[in-house]
Amino acid sequence: MVENRSIANDDPAAPPASGNQSAEAAEGELDSASAATVDDAQLTTYSAVSEIRTPIKLCREIVHDFVAGRELAWRLFIRNLRGLYRQTLLGLFWAFLPPIANTAVWIFLQSQNVFQIGDTGVNSTVYILTGMILWQGFIDAFQSPGKLLNSNKNMVAKLKFPRESLLTVAFLETCFNLSIRLVLLIPAFLLFSVPLHLSILLAPVSIFGMLLLGLALGILLIPIGTLYQDVGRFVTMVLPFWMIVTPIIYVPSAEFPASLLNWVNPAAPLLIVSRELLLYGGTNFGMLAIVFGLSAIVLLLISLVVYRVSLPVLIERMMA
Amino acid sequence: MSNSSEIVLDVDHVWKVYCRNLKRAMWYGLRDLGREITGQGHDRTVTGLRPGEFFAIRDANFQVRRGECVALIGPNGAGKSTMLKMINGLVRPDAGKISIRGKVAALIELGTGFNPILSGRENIYINAAVLGIGKREVDRIFDKIVDFAELEDVINDPVKTYSSGMRVRLGFSVAANLRPDLLIMDEVLAVGDVGFRMKCFAHLRELIKEGVSIIVVTHAVTMLRRVATRSIVFGKGKIVYDGDLPTGSTIYEEMMNVPSQASERREEDQASSKARIEEVNVLNEQGQPQLEFHTDEKLRLQIRMSAREEIRNARLIAAICSPVHGKVASMSTAYLDFQFDLPAGERTIYLEFPSLPLLIGAYHFNISLYGPEQTDFFQRRTLQGNFRIVGPPLLGDGRGLGGILKLPHRWESD
Repeated sequence: MVENRSIANDDPAAPPASGNQSAEAAEGELDSASAATVDDAQLTTYSAVSEIRTPIKLCREIVHDFVAGRELAWRLFIRNLRGLYRQTLLGLFWAFLPPIANTAVWIFLQSQNVFQIGDTGVNSTVYILTGMILWQGFIDAFQSPGKLLNSNKNMVAKLKFPRESLLTVAFLETCFNLSIRLVLLIPAFLLFSVPLHLSILLAPVSIFGMLLLGLALGILLIPIGTLYQDVGRFVTMVLPFWMIVTPIIYVPSAEFPASLLNWVNPAAPLLIVSRELLLYGGTNFGMLAIVFGLSAIVLLLISLVVYRVSLPVLIERMMA
Repeated sequence: MSNSSEIVLDVDHVWKVYCRNLKRAMWYGLRDLGREITGQGHDRTVTGLRPGEFFAIRDANFQVRRGECVALIGPNGAGKSTMLKMINGLVRPDAGKISIRGKVAALIELGTGFNPILSGRENIYINAAVLGIGKREVDRIFDKIVDFAELEDVINDPVKTYSSGMRVRLGFSVAANLRPDLLIMDEVLAVGDVGFRMKCFAHLRELIKEGVSIIVVTHAVTMLRRVATRSIVFGKGKIVYDGDLPTGSTIYEEMMNVPSQASERREEDQASSKARIEEVNVLNEQGQPQLEFHTDEKLRLQIRMSAREEIRNARLIAAICSPVHGKVASMSTAYLDFQFDLPAGERTIYLEFPSLPLLIGAYHFNISLYGPEQTDFFQRRTLQGNFRIVGPPLLGDGRGLGGILKLPHRWESD
């Protein structure tokens, strides 16, 4: 259990109160001890009692660390971004390449009648490209928390900093990658004369929900995935199948029992709805989207608590 | 925690459990995760250890006051770094409580978060953010950081082109701007060149003067004399000593000196059946056994031997050794033409040092027993007669003696 509370400080010359964990720290007010005199000193207590037994305080600390870690998150995001493309020849083009290559392969296969895409209502290239971009976004959101924690393992195991910042970085990176990929839709829409609908304005809400759901599932996998590498291997093995059961390269079935896949596959509902809002001007899966959107929020809150309380246990094993 | 605001850190009967077996550790981790999530985290001293587990920390209990610099010392695996990680809030105690009053900063691995592809300039901002220093503050102190690190010429080059020493300098220079109530450091002062190390020590002394408490873990105990005044010695997870640094460092040196069963067996195998060294004792001026001495004090070494048959013109060689520095000096009975016979039965010989020229540290004797000829070897016994020199204190500021010997000397001017 970690307690942070203020107590009366009877030492007038005591240094500032804020901790490494504090919002002030992130604000850059870690100045010299002599610069400020405070009446309160922060008392931090660590014991064997589970943090989850004081849920309100736990939630407050999670929020606090998200706020305190926002500048660090931004720095790490920029660091990763600069590091990612600095030593490459094609630079940012690598962000566009995977959906273009995937779409090209599927379009080729479809042209050879390897599979039937169904009645898409729009050009099939645009349909598959949109699905691919959204799917890539969902998978990025799902995988990035684990990847971020793993690549910063050394830092997490050795330094105390607001670890929630890593989740913020994961979300920022996912959003950045998805945003630049979505830019690909502009020439695609123009090239294949896809009409623009007002519903396109609602698509970001649905996409946001989809990313939150991916992120929440990814965070929930962190504890067991950090302990056992089997989880990572299993996910790598399952991903191609998961993509195939998600209606990316074909029209989702409305008939039972195939329609059941839309309910049991967490990637499907919000992806379908996002694509329909982008391409068709409306969606038949509104209820499904609302249910999954709300579930995403609840799941994310649970995952943040699980992440927070599991980290000390995981760090012990990271150092092993 | 005590009401006294002078106490910055209170470690209250803390225990920590670890498991060495990787598979078991993972499985226990999974079960512990379940307990944490369901709020059943508990005092492990009550539930006991599971198979394969051990106490990495056992009932650690100490306090650190404002402006105190404490060295945590001990052999590898003694629990120092685990204790530091608990104080830093990285891992939680399995029993007991740690209370910290005020802000904590840690210099555990300098330059954590550096991206080698990015420039030193970019990495300063990243490292500072990791340590909790904001951009505005870094903008203000940027020149100071670069100046302290002495990297003005290369600050815009990628960090991967820096030497390891340059990286450490950059890391320390960023961290030097932290002003916590409690600063914890783990083996970070053993790196970098001498000039920069001196600069770091000067900085730490400045922090202590400002009232910052420091806990430092290192094996380079000699260097610590520059800043630390108190030592807490860990051995097998337990605090075996809490007190002044000279005594603590000698106890630590002794801990590295424990003879292995294999070496004892080897000595036994090599021993001749004709004569043996039965016992070695360190005595004071009054002839009483004593463990702790001061430089320039008198020390008498008592060597009790036995022989099956009479041995004429036996010889002894005694070597004073330090676990850190090795053999300091050795002396033989033959050198001073001291001749003695071993009658059938027992005989005791004394070796006297009227004014011991050794400085603070732990020492022991290695004793070898020979007959009159070069090839008449009877027995060699190592790690005998342990003793400590505990004073006077060595000044770490370049104004006293250093090393392990006090040599007769004088200074002159032309």
